[in-house]
Amino acid sequence: MSHLHAVLLGVPWTLAVMLAALAIGAVLAVPLAAARRSRVAPLRWAARLAIDVLRGIPPIVWLFIIFFGLGDKVLRLGPFQAAVLGLGLISAGYLAEIYRGGLTAVHKGQWEAASALGMGRADAMTRVIGPQAFRVALPGATTYAIGLLKDSSVVSTIGVTDIMARASQDARSTSSGLTPFLLAALVYIVLSGPLAWLSRTMDAKLRARVAR
Amino acid sequence: MNDSLLSSWVEWTPALLDGLWTSLQLTGGSLAIGIPGGLLLALLMSGRSRVVKAVAIVLVEIGRGMPALVVLQLVYFGLPSAGLTFGPFLAATAALALTTAAYTSEILRAGLQAVPAGEVEAAAALGMSHRDSLRYVVIPQGVRVAIPALLGFSIQIFQATSLTFTIAVPELLGQAYSIGAATFRYLDVLVLAGLVYLAVVLPAGSITRLLERRMGRHL
Amino acid sequence: MTLTTGTSVVSLRGIRKEFGDHVAVRDVSLEVPAGEVVAIIGPSGSGKSTLLRCINLLERPEAGRIEVLGQAVEPQGGVSAAELAKLRRGVGMVFQSFNLFPHLTVLRNISLPQERVLGRSRKEADARSLQLLERVGLADKGASYPSRCSGGQQQRVAIARALALDPQVMLFDEPTSALDPELGLEVLAVMRELAADGMTMVVVTHEIQFAADVADRVVVMADGAIIEQGPPSVVLTAPTVERTKKFLRAVMDR
Ligand SMILES: Nc1ncnc2c1ncn2[C@@H]1O[C@H](COP(=O)(O)OP(=O)(O)OP(=O)(O)O)[C@@H](O)[C@H]1O
Ligand SMILES: [Mg+2]
Repeated sequence: MSHLHAVLLGVPWTLAVMLAALAIGAVLAVPLAAARRSRVAPLRWAARLAIDVLRGIPPIVWLFIIFFGLGDKVLRLGPFQAAVLGLGLISAGYLAEIYRGGLTAVHKGQWEAASALGMGRADAMTRVIGPQAFRVALPGATTYAIGLLKDSSVVSTIGVTDIMARASQDARSTSSGLTPFLLAALVYIVLSGPLAWLSRTMDAKLRARVAR
Repeated sequence: MNDSLLSSWVEWTPALLDGLWTSLQLTGGSLAIGIPGGLLLALLMSGRSRVVKAVAIVLVEIGRGMPALVVLQLVYFGLPSAGLTFGPFLAATAALALTTAAYTSEILRAGLQAVPAGEVEAAAALGMSHRDSLRYVVIPQGVRVAIPALLGFSIQIFQATSLTFTIAVPELLGQAYSIGAATFRYLDVLVLAGLVYLAVVLPAGSITRLLERRMGRHL
Repeated sequence: MTLTTGTSVVSLRGIRKEFGDHVAVRDVSLEVPAGEVVAIIGPSGSGKSTLLRCINLLERPEAGRIEVLGQAVEPQGGVSAAELAKLRRGVGMVFQSFNLFPHLTVLRNISLPQERVLGRSRKEADARSLQLLERVGLADKGASYPSRCSGGQQQRVAIARALALDPQVMLFDEPTSALDPELGLEVLAVMRELAADGMTMVVVTHEIQFAADVADRVVVMADGAIIEQGPPSVVLTAPTVERTKKFLRAVMDR
C-alpha cells in the first residue's frame, strides 16, 4: 500500500505538466497552423520547418536541450518550467498538424458560401470554418493528449517528481524492484481511461449537435 | 556560428555516430522481435476464439497504455528482483520490442482486415485450411497494406531509443550527454545530437509519405 | 423428380438457413444427379446465393441434411476440418466478384490451391494450370497479375482455378453479373463447354437465355423457397406459378 501511496504522490505533477503543456501547445499551434496554410510561401516553409523540427527531435532530447543546454547559460529554468516549456513546444508542433487536418477537411464550399454571404475572412473563420474544423480535429487532439500523458513520463529525467520519478525513487529506496513500476504502469493506464471516455462523449455530443 | 563550434562539432561527430549506430541497432532489434509479436497478437485478436481474443486485446491495451519509459525501467530495474537480469542493451531491446508488439498489433490488425472477405471465402471454398488461407492469402496482403504505417511507427521507435539513455545504453543521446558532462558544453553537443536525429527522422518521414502515396495509388 | 440419393452428386434435404430472425432459405430440398446442369433463378433476396453456399458449407444451415458425392454431413452438429476439406475438394465454386488473389500471378492463383489441397508438386500443379488456362483461352496470361486482366479474363481464371482441383460439381453464383455483356459472353462460352463435357453444375444466374440453352432443369426460388422447377422449355416459356410469370416478365422487360 505504501508503494501505491508513493506512486500516487506523483500524479499531481504528471497532470500539471501534461495540462500546462497541452494549454501552451493548443495556443501556439494556432498561429503555426495558420502559417502552414498561409498564402505567403516563405511563411509556409518556415512553419513546416518548425513543425518538422519540433516533432523530429525526441522529447527527451528537447528537454535536455532546454534544461541542461539553455539552462546552462541562457535561460535558468526549474525542472517543472523546463518540462512544461519543452512538452508545450512539442505539443504545438503536433497540434498544429492536427488543426491543419481539421481545416483541410472543411469543404471549400463553406468558405465560398461564407464569403458569398458577405462574411469577412475572420468572421468566416470564427463562425463557420473554426467550429467545423474543431469538430474534425477533436478526436485527433484527444488521442494526442492521451499520448502526451504517457510521454510526459520523460520529465522524470530532468527531476520533475512525477509518477515515473516517484516509482523509481520508491524502487530504489525500498529495493523492491517490480512493484513500484507495475503500480506506475497501472496508474498511467487508469489515468488515460477518463481521457478516452471524455473524448468519446465529447465526440458523441458534438456529433449530435452537428446532426441536428 | 563560429569556428570553435564547428570544429567541436567535427570533433564530436565520430562519438555521436557511434551512438547513432547503437540507436539504429536498438531500433532494428526491437522491430525484428516486436513486429512478429505484433503479427501474432493481431492474428489472435482477429481469431475465432472469444477467450483468446479477449486476452489478446487486454494485453495490447496494457502494452499501449504503459509509457515506453515505464516499460524500460520495469524491465531493467524491476525484473532483476524477479530473478531476470538483463544488460542495458538487452533490456532496452526487450522493452522496446514489447511496446512495438503492442502498437504494431493494431496496425497489422487493420491491415489484415483490409483483405477482402471474398478472398478468404474463395480460399475456403477451394478447400484450403484456415492456416493456409492465413499464410498464403491474408498475411502477405495484410502485411503489405500495413507497410507505410509500420514504417511510420519505426520512426517513432527510433526516437524512443533516446529513452534508453536512462538505463545507460550508450546510444546517441547517451553519447551526447557524456560529452556534455566532460566539456560542460551541453547546449552545443545536444543541439548537434538533435540535428543527427533530424537527419534520420525527416528523410525517413518523406520516404514513408512517398510510399503511402504510391501504395494508395496501386490498391 | 424421382431420384435416389445414390445417383445424386448433391443432395439437399429440408435445408433451412436463418440470419437473425430473417429466414433466408426455408425447407428446401434439391437433388442434382451427375451430369445435370441446374439453373437457379428468382428475384433478388430470394435466397439463391444462400442455398448455393449451403452446398459447400460456406453457410451452415440451421436444419437439414447435406450429402455431397456420397458424403453426408449434419451441418448442425460439428463438422470436422477434415470433413469440410474433403467436401470442398469435390466442389468447385465461382463467385460473382471473381475473388482471385491479387498478390499472386494468374498461374500461382491456379497452382497454389493444388499444392496446398491436393499436395501436388509445383511442377505438376503448374502443368495442370497451364492446361486449364489453355482451355479457358488464356494460355498467354499465366505470368500476369489479376489486376492486369479484364473482368471476363479474371472470371475465366477463377473457373480454371476451381477446375484445377478436379471437382465433381461446379457451383456458380451469378458469374457474369459483374461483367459488361461482351465480357460475360466469354465466360458463358467457357461454361457452355464445361456443360457439354458433362460437368455437373449448379448455376445461380440472371441470364435467362443461358438457362434456356444450357440448363437441363430450371429451379425458381422466391422468399427462400423453391416455387417451381422443371425443364427450361416448360418453366421459362409456360410457367404455371404466378410468381414465376411475374418474375420472368420483369426480367424480359429489362
Ligand atoms: N450474411 C448475411 N447476413 C444477414 N442476412 C443475409 C446474409 N446473407 C444473406 N442475407 C439475407 O438473406 C436473404 C437471401 O439472400 P441471398 O443473398 O441468398 O439472395 P439472392 O437470391 O442471392 O439475391 P441476389 O439475386 O440479390 O443475389 C436476403 O434477404 C439477404 O438480405
Ligand atoms: Mg445472390
